[in-house]
Order: sequence, then C-alpha cells, then structure tokens
Amino acid sequence: MSENLTGLVKIIGISILLVLLWAFLAYQVPENFLKPNNIENLLRRTALFGILGIGVSFVIISSGIDLSIGSLVCFIACLLALFLSVSYNPYVSTDVLEIKAADKKLIVNPDANFSPGQTVRYYGGRRARNAMLTITAIQPTEYEGRQASEILVDQALTRDDKTDSGNRSVGKIAAMYPISAVSGDHLNIPFGQLTPRDRVWFVHPERGLKEKTVAAVEPTGSTPGLNRVTFTESLDGIDATYIAIPLARKQKMSVPVAILSVLLIALGLGMIHGVLITKLKQQPFVVTLCGLLIYRGLSRWLSNDQTLGFGNEFEGSLGLLATGRLVLWDSGGSSFGIPYSFFFLLLLTVAAIIFLNFTIWGRYILALGRNEEAARYSGVNTGRMTILAYILCAVLTGIGGILFALDANSIAPSSFGNFFELYAIAAAVLGGCSLRGGEGSIIGVVVGTALMQTLYNSIVLLKIPDELEYAIIGAVILIGVTSDEVIRMIASRIKRE
Amino acid sequence: MDQVSLSLGPGEVLAVIGENGAGKSTLMKILAGVQTADAGEIRIDGQRCHFESTREAMDHGIVLIHQELNLCDNLNIGQNIFLGREPRTAGIINRREINRRSTGFLEQVGLDVAPTTVVGSLTIGKQQMVEIAKALSVNARVLIMDEPTSSLSARESEALFRLIGQLRSQGVSIIYISHRLAEVKRLADRVVVLRDGKNAGELVGDQIQHDAMVQRMVGRDVSQFYTRQRHPTGDVVFKAEKIRTVEWPQHELSFEIRAGEIVGLAGLVGAGRTEMLQSLFGVTPLVAGQCWLEGEPVQLNSPSQAIDQGICLVPEDRKQHGLITDFSVANNIGLPNLKPNQRGPGFSNFSKQRQSSLEMCDLLDIKTPSIGQLVKFLSGGNQQKVVIGKWLAQDPKILLLDEPTRGIDIGAKEQIYKLMEQLASRSMAILFASSEMEEILGLADRVIVLHEGQITGVLDHQQLSEQAVMQLATGTATDHSMKA
Repeated sequence: MSENLTGLVKIIGISILLVLLWAFLAYQVPENFLKPNNIENLLRRTALFGILGIGVSFVIISSGIDLSIGSLVCFIACLLALFLSVSYNPYVSTDVLEIKAADKKLIVNPDANFSPGQTVRYYGGRRARNAMLTITAIQPTEYEGRQASEILVDQALTRDDKTDSGNRSVGKIAAMYPISAVSGDHLNIPFGQLTPRDRVWFVHPERGLKEKTVAAVEPTGSTPGLNRVTFTESLDGIDATYIAIPLARKQKMSVPVAILSVLLIALGLGMIHGVLITKLKQQPFVVTLCGLLIYRGLSRWLSNDQTLGFGNEFEGSLGLLATGRLVLWDSGGSSFGIPYSFFFLLLLTVAAIIFLNFTIWGRYILALGRNEEAARYSGVNTGRMTILAYILCAVLTGIGGILFALDANSIAPSSFGNFFELYAIAAAVLGGCSLRGGEGSIIGVVVGTALMQTLYNSIVLLKIPDELEYAIIGAVILIGVTSDEVIRMIASRIKRE
Repeated sequence: MDQVSLSLGPGEVLAVIGENGAGKSTLMKILAGVQTADAGEIRIDGQRCHFESTREAMDHGIVLIHQELNLCDNLNIGQNIFLGREPRTAGIINRREINRRSTGFLEQVGLDVAPTTVVGSLTIGKQQMVEIAKALSVNARVLIMDEPTSSLSARESEALFRLIGQLRSQGVSIIYISHRLAEVKRLADRVVVLRDGKNAGELVGDQIQHDAMVQRMVGRDVSQFYTRQRHPTGDVVFKAEKIRTVEWPQHELSFEIRAGEIVGLAGLVGAGRTEMLQSLFGVTPLVAGQCWLEGEPVQLNSPSQAIDQGICLVPEDRKQHGLITDFSVANNIGLPNLKPNQRGPGFSNFSKQRQSSLEMCDLLDIKTPSIGQLVKFLSGGNQQKVVIGKWLAQDPKILLLDEPTRGIDIGAKEQIYKLMEQLASRSMAILFASSEMEEILGLADRVIVLHEGQITGVLDHQQLSEQAVMQLATGTATDHSMKA
C-alpha cells in the first residue's frame, strides 16, 4: 500500500461520517440546523478551532504534544486586550496635590496649563466632592520641597486633603469649555485639538455627566479657534447650559504593533518549548503541561483576574476579522454570509498543506516523526525541525487566540480557552494524526474539527442534556479512532480465512 | 547452526570460542531455552530434556548470564535475586526471608554487601556477582556466561575468575564464552571451537594454546569468495589524527584513506568499530583529535554537517538508523537530497526526486514494484540498496559502511561488493566495517584492526591473512605491521 493511501482512507471515512451527521441533522431538525445563523456559527467555530487543530497537528506529526494551547489562547487574548486597551483623559488636566478648602486654594503640579478666568472641573477626590470652579489667580509655590503651582478659585471645596504615601494625588482638575449652537448631533466648541474617536464629557451643575463620541471636527470659519464638532449620536438633552470637557483617546498600541507583538510573543514561547524539549531533553508532555499552568497564571495576574474585552472600540475595524462575514444572500429578514474567520482557516489550511507536503521542512518533520534517529542519520537537523514544529503550533495558537478574543470580546482569564488544547488534539487525532508521530494530514484535521463542532452543535439542537456534552464527544472520538483499527483487524481475519 | 555437539561434565569449565557469527550465541540461547533447536536433543544426566522457555531451562539448573546484565537497577539485591519467585507469607512478600536467604548466596559468591543495597549503586563487576548469586539461588548446575569480562576492570575480572574456580570446586559446571583467548587459556578445562555454525575442533588441557585456538577458529577457504579487481589508489582523501571517541576516550586513533581505496575495519564485537564510524559521521562527536578531508580540517558535530562535507554512512542498524521504513523508496532516497535539490526557497523538487530514485533503482538493481512502495515491504538486500542509494545521489567523497551485508542474501551481497568496487574505481574512498572475515580479506585494499577501542594494526593487501587479522583482533599479537 502506498504511503498516502492509509491517510486518504481515514480522511474519506471521517468525511463520510461528517456528511452523514449533517444529513441526519438536516432531516431531524431542519429548521434549526439549516438556519443561516446556525450554519454561520458552525463555520465560525470550525474556523477558530480548526486553526488550533492545524497548529497542534504539526507538533503531533513531529511525535510531540502541546498541552499549553488553551492557556496560550487565553494569554494571547489577555495580552491583546491589554495592548489595545483604550483610555480617555481630559486634554487639559492636572493632579491636585493639596486642597485648602477654607483658603479656596489648590496646590497642583507646576506643568498645569491653566490661566485665570478659566472654568475647571474638580473630580476624582477622596474627600472633597466634585465641583465646578473658576480660577481667579495662579502663582508658583513649593510643595514638599518641590516646584508646584497654587491656584486660587472662586469657591471653597468641601474638605481639605493632602497627598500621602498611598496617594500621589487627591483628585484632578480638568479644563472646561463652553458649548454653543447645539443642534441635532453637532455643536460648536472653542477647543481645537479634538479629533474623531475622541470623546467629550458634558457636565451640568445639577444634571450630572454625559459622555459622547466625536465623529468629525471642522473649523467654523466665523470665529478663529471655534470648531464645529459632529458626534456619532444625537445630543438629545444637551444644551448650552452644559460645559464640555474634551477627552483625548489614547490606545496603548496601534493595532498592527499589538498584533505583531502578541504573535512574536507566541513565537518566542513556542521556541522556548522546542528548546526545552530538544536541547534540555525534557518530555513534551511535561514542558507544555508547565506551559499550561504558567500561561494561565500569568493571564490572571496580568489582568488582575478581571474580565477583559475591547468594548466597542474595534467594532468596525479589527473586530470584523472575527465577527464580520461575506454576505452571500440577503432577503431582508434573514441573510447568510461566510464569516471572515472561515477565510482565515482556508488560507491557513492551504498554507499548511503546502508547507507539510511541498517543502523540505514539512518532509523533515514527517520523517523525524516516523523515525527521529533515521532522519538524523539522513542529515536532518532534527532538533531545529522539532523547534520549528513547536513554533508553528504556538504562532497558529496565537492567531487563533487573537480571533477567539475578538470573537468573544469578553475574556475571563480564569476560564477563557479551557480545554481548547484537548479539542485541538482530539480533532487532530480524529483527522488521522497518530500520537506516535509521522502520520497526519491537514485536511483530515480540518474535517475532524468540523465533525467535533457539528457534534457540539447537534447536542444543542437535539436538546440532549448538555451535562452529557463531554461524554458524547469523548465517546465519538473513541469510536472514531478505534474504528479503523477494528476494521483492519476484521479485514485481516477475513483475508486469513 | 548446523549439527553442533557439545558435552559438559560436572565441575568442568568449558570454553566455547569462535569468530563473530560462528554460532556461539545461538547455541547458548538454545541451551538456556531462549530459542528452540530445529533438530537434535539435550540430555541432562542422560535424561532427554526439552526447553520451551528460560524458566524450564532454569528448572533443570541451566542459567544463562547475558553479556548485558538482566537486573532491575531500581530494586535491591534481595529483590533482584528473588524476582518473580518471592517467598510469601499469606500473599505478602516476606522481606526478612528474602534478606536472610540472599545473604547466604552473597556469601557464596564472596560479595560483602548488604542484600538491601540497591543494585543500581553497585559496580558492573558486583552486579555480575549478583547475577551469579541469582543463578545459585535457583540451584544452577550449569552456568552459561556470555562474554562476562567484556565490561569488567582487571581487578573485577580477577574476582570473577576466583569465583569461577570456587564454583567449579563446588561441582557447578560452567560454559564460558569469550573472545579473550588469554582468559580462555587460563580458565578452561576444555575448549570447543565453532566455525560457521559447526564444530571446528576441541582442545583439552595442554592443547589449549593461543595459536591452536586461532588456527581452529579460522581456516576457511577464501578462494571461493568474490574476487575483485584492484585499482591503483590516489591521494589521501581522508585523514584522522589522534581522534578519541566517547566510547574509548583513552585511545587515540590515527589513520588515512586514499581516493579509490577500500579500507576494511576489522575487530571483534565490541572492539569499537561502530563507535568509530558513528563518530566520523558526527552521530557521537569526537572528544578530541582532528579529521581532514582533502587537506581541509573538517568539523563533524552532526550527521548533517558530515553529509554537507561529503561524508556519508550506511549504518549497521538498517531499520533503526538507515531507513524510515514507513516511507516509500523514493522518499527514503530523497530525504538527504531534499536540501541540495530544493527548488526555490525550501520547496521539494519531486520530479528530481522521482528521477534520481528511478536512476538508483536501476543502478543498484533495487527490486521494488514501484518507487512508491513502502520500504518495509522490501527484502533486506533491497532495503540496504535503498540506504546506499540515498548517498550515491550525493556523490560523497568518502563512504562509510557499517556491516553493509548484514542480514542480506548472497546475491545481494555480491551486488553490494561489486558496487563498492565500482565506486572505488571512480575514486571514491570507502571505509567499511565487517565481522565477516571473508569480506575483510576479499574486499579490502587495506585493513585497520581494532581491539578494545585501539588500533592494534594496519595490514595492507600483501600482509592480509585471516591469521594476522585474528591475532590483531584478539589483541594477542604485537603490532608487527606498519602504522597508518
């Protein structure tokens, strides 16, 4: 039998199983299974898990294992959320160092760019209440031996306060600007630095605070320095009695830098796995088991165990990678489109097939998975190729992590990505990878993933108690992987008789 | 093995000697129940016996002590001695009984160690004593020792010889297999010589002399062997200068090989031939010394480095090291050639691979239904040709072959000899290790003889004789030849 034939038989077998399952669902619960929404979901989940499956199949083919995938997905997701975290701070503001309520005095950092006559908002204090103040005078002073500014205001704050070792500031003051010509979704403001995606606080002495996002800014032309600002939504309930605090949008890293950084981190971690396994002769199981624990712990620590997300910051841009779709058909009420992430899977599948089957490195990985010693005796640098397999796995996990993060937009560091490594390994094994190494095909892994996701889907659709989910998936994998051995045994017995 | 007979009296030390592959190991395995004989019989005290397992042989008092000891490093001496036969009280292992009885056996072999000592912490010599104590614990009447001194120091060997003397006086018979003729001369009451799986003589008492033993071990008709054409050799291609291998770091090896020269590497099992070839191929890098290829110093830290510089090895263990048996013929031949043949950055050139595989099948007469056939379905000879084919596509400067004809049929052997000769005539340098004397004598232009990791001599074609090689290989002859 030729070397590709056994693999082909496996792929055909599992594909038939998949089609049968689809046919069964389409017959049994047609309205639910064939709903465009359901198919889209199935495609999206297959895409995301398929990418992880392709990654781990390289490692499995090299006769290794990677248990750290789920934790790495979470770690990468957390890093991405942190790298792309967005904050809004007043354009003109400073920390308050001391409040002398009776004297109507504030001591602030000297870099403050304020002038007498300006209205400012005091907020964020520990003791004193928020307030709107007008500056009457500014003079240099000293605070605890260093330069500071003393600001005199028109009214007294509620309480005295002072910085101490625990607090480097006792609140902030931010410059405020009057607004005029408020109508619909735009208004005029005498402030020139606002740019689209910035935000503005509208503060009213009695009515509290509202926050709106800037859509466009243009000079009015009539008065120098006066700008016409359009917002993303209408300014209902806001009028000229409000005073505005312009907020600058600050994103920790640009999108390309953030994505490149997390992928490089994934690559580095994969390389560390590979080096520990090849140069320090550690067992893959142990190395990646430690990775599983370490990345999970780091994720929880980096995020203070708080759920992270991207809010709606990247809805129309980066987020489309995970949530967008190519609409194929739209009939008003319902529509069907192929999720962009599915195209990712197709792209990566093709790339992985080419790598594994048509490059020398792919052949080396297959060879060393079959017989590492013989590969070494044939001049294959087996150490370097093993490291490469772990790097590929980690980078694909990184890509998967990015997509999972954008898709979920809610990353709970203690549970995000749990068991993903087992789904990936199970899909690879279902798809014909042997944990002994040297055997496996990319197509098989993708079909295996689709089968797993369809199973998951059918548990939901057929209203099987979801407590049974793992039991059913486990049983099907077991049947899938033992069936070909059983068939082979029966076949050889028949042949003998 | 063909109709070998052997007798053994009580309290007798019988040495069995012979060249590599003479049938010693097979004979011992049959006696100890590891294998069964196709024909013939074993009689103990005149009773016919038949052993299906080592357990049955043991029940008859025959115990084989392997060259590689069969002890569990992690268990203690007592546990090892009674492994599988633990004295029990109500199903629970009786440690006190184990230790009490073990102490007795340890005293008997003169080993002054507590039975609770973990075996892994003992020296090899003492572990061997434990093996013997274990044999005594099953009331062994016949102890078969296969190369017992191969990994012992001189002092440990001395202790073993004393023990053998003592056991003999207690009436235990010993079959002693060794390549070390000096030991045989000292210990044996009688010597049985095997050659090509047949009895080749027996020596008793004073007859046990070195020359007499060698004479009976060799003495084959070499003229029937494949005769090769000789070619004049060219310049020195490869030179090894004071190299030391990991296995035998105490010995420096120096030699050179010329273009078009076929150099044989002779020696007994364990003489360090494989280790030397593997070091030259970068599998286990040299610990010292320098190799030169065409006058340039070469680094040999990995096989890929060696291959890049034109040094290729056909390894001894074909299935483990030579081939990926689940790969096709084409993929095996193609594997080392993927890099030089790559098309574009990193893309395999499959048409080139197909073409060169077909060429190799043609050139080497590899019998396979197609080049897509998995190598594991080929015969040993064809598999070996695939291994050689891997390297010929590279056109190496020096080809190393370790036991190139092991386990292959006569026809394929001749083809491989012819091929080696052709390659040499195209001025490739060839270094091959072989345990088959006729290959060494018939093929080599020059022979390097190793004995316990040391080059004991280099024989050129005129000096070459089986006697000369055996003397050097057994380490009994002084170096009467020229140094490399």
